[in-house]
Amino acid sequence: MHLDHDHVMGGAHDHEHVHEHTPDHTHDVVAHTHEHAHTHQHDHEHPHSHDHLHDSGEVHDHSHGCAGECSGCQGGCEHTPMEELTALMKYMAGHNAAHARELAQLAAQLDQAGNHTAYEQVMAAVSDFEKGNMRLSVVLASLDVK
Amino acid sequence: MCLSTVYKNTLAPEAVVMKNVMTIQCRDGVVILTDLMERQVAIEGTLEMANLVDGVAIVKEAEV
Repeated sequence: MHLDHDHVMGGAHDHEHVHEHTPDHTHDVVAHTHEHAHTHQHDHEHPHSHDHLHDSGEVHDHSHGCAGECSGCQGGCEHTPMEELTALMKYMAGHNAAHARELAQLAAQLDQAGNHTAYEQVMAAVSDFEKGNMRLSVVLASLDVK
Repeated sequence: MCLSTVYKNTLAPEAVVMKNVMTIQCRDGVVILTDLMERQVAIEGTLEMANLVDGVAIVKEAEV
């Protein structure tokens, strides 16, 4: 049981919650495991329902009662929804660029295999791909500015 | 999209544990998921399957 603790993600907070766990423990020198649920109050305040990894390695589920809805939340989340969106966009833009390079390599292999027409078509697709990525980059830049 | 969605026990919308998962580590009977924002979720169990084309994985929770 842990009344006061820090999560791996950090942030101390305060609210009641219920959780279940199956601790191994000993009664009268007989070690056993059983399930139980209990309610207690501890320092807590973050808005999602999910499993936690504690520093001790203990894992349990508990709910923070907001179904992951962040708008209007005054809790201790590290990232805003916009920060998450921006991170996802950055990832996608970088990822698409990597895929464009991979496609260009495939095109080169087609060319080496003697299919120049296919090479040209794939390179045209790569060009289209890069145009899309450019558009994403512009959006990303505008998100970073705001 | 090569980030994955990880489900617990079954491939159902209500069983989603974490989206945008970057890494999955299996250590001492615990599967540790890390998402794009570096958040972590740990589940006692095993990695049952990972479809890297569809970007889905299922973690089988250990029975207690």
